[in-house]
Amino acid sequence: MGPLFPNGLISGDWNLVIAVFIGIAFGFLLEASGFSSSRNLAGVFYGYNFVVLRVFFTAVIVAMVGLLYFNYFGWLDLSKIFILPTFLPSMIVGGVVMGLGFIIGGFCPGTSFTAIVIGKLDALVFAVGLFIGIFLFAEVFPFIEHFYYSGNLGNVTLTDVTGISASWWAFGFTVIALAAFWASWLIEKKVRKRIKEYKF
Amino acid sequence: MNRNYFILTLIMLVLAAGTFFIPKKSMQQQVKPSKLLWEIIQPTRYVSTDQVAKMIIQKDPSLELIDVRSADEYARFSLPNTINIPLDSIVNENSMDYFGIPGTNVVFFSNDAIKADEAWVLTRRLGFNATYVMKGGLNRWIETIIQPKEPAEESPRTAFETYEFRKGAQLYFTGAKVETTTAKKAKVVIRRKKKKVVASGGC
Repeated sequence: MGPLFPNGLISGDWNLVIAVFIGIAFGFLLEASGFSSSRNLAGVFYGYNFVVLRVFFTAVIVAMVGLLYFNYFGWLDLSKIFILPTFLPSMIVGGVVMGLGFIIGGFCPGTSFTAIVIGKLDALVFAVGLFIGIFLFAEVFPFIEHFYYSGNLGNVTLTDVTGISASWWAFGFTVIALAAFWASWLIEKKVRKRIKEYKF
Repeated sequence: MNRNYFILTLIMLVLAAGTFFIPKKSMQQQVKPSKLLWEIIQPTRYVSTDQVAKMIIQKDPSLELIDVRSADEYARFSLPNTINIPLDSIVNENSMDYFGIPGTNVVFFSNDAIKADEAWVLTRRLGFNATYVMKGGLNRWIETIIQPKEPAEESPRTAFETYEFRKGAQLYFTGAKVETTTAKKAKVVIRRKKKKVVASGGC
């Protein structure tokens, strides 16, 4: 069946419309998971709040395992999905810059907008800085263009690079993630005095 | 810690371990045999040599000609702007890139239509759309486009129109000269009327 656009189940004109709804859902879930609070976001770095780790790891393992099953049931053809090309050196540098900004600013780009929506002034300043950063990047881009496009590995997956099957990656990540959930929970219980356990 | 967290952890672990038991499916899913058989008998999968010639002359960007003969034969003679993929390498990974490009119509041809037909069936089974076979292959191409025959006098008008097109196409593909009448110009002889001599003298 899927992917929906390449298989022509939805025409390309709907791209933007669907993107708006996915964006709304994404923003809502960010805010609902507590990502509009920079205390929660930077907490991973300082070691008192691991909600970011839990939310993102949950998303990763559910998506990973889920996509493998989707492929099996024929709902999504994994050979047809778009895989972002990997530029190793520039991605490492980009990751470091992103991480620094995350700790210093207390937001990542997406969460800063959800924080603006709930009325946080620091997020507003962060977003202004975001646009200044984009502008500066665009201005210096000609000088770093060579580095930006260096080390292109193409549209590869971990399976392509390592030869280890996707199931092993999914299982490995799941084990690591679940271990991290429990470990981070134990750390949080020690570090924080007032801690709220969500019941469901 | 809530008991439910234990259950969730277990469910996730079992699901992840379950991915080991997912059988690996072949990457390419084939068209159903009944559908393929139905499509094989459709005349619409053929294009005539005239249509191909017209598209080449008009430089139709959607046309993708693929010569499925061997490389030797291809080197000797082929149609203009043709990609050579010999039949035995048509399902190679490299060749796959030529098929299924949105907005293009792949036309296979060989000397007759048999190899081209095989290529059509192979690619169609792999699920590629918009593939066609040039009916009659290069033999028909020579007969119709390179050496077109004048239709008999009692033929319908359309036959003459096709013939006219083919003659034009022949010029395009072979660079043959336009036949001009060789008859010499009739010499124009100017005859001047002699002026009548005015009668002189009297009665």
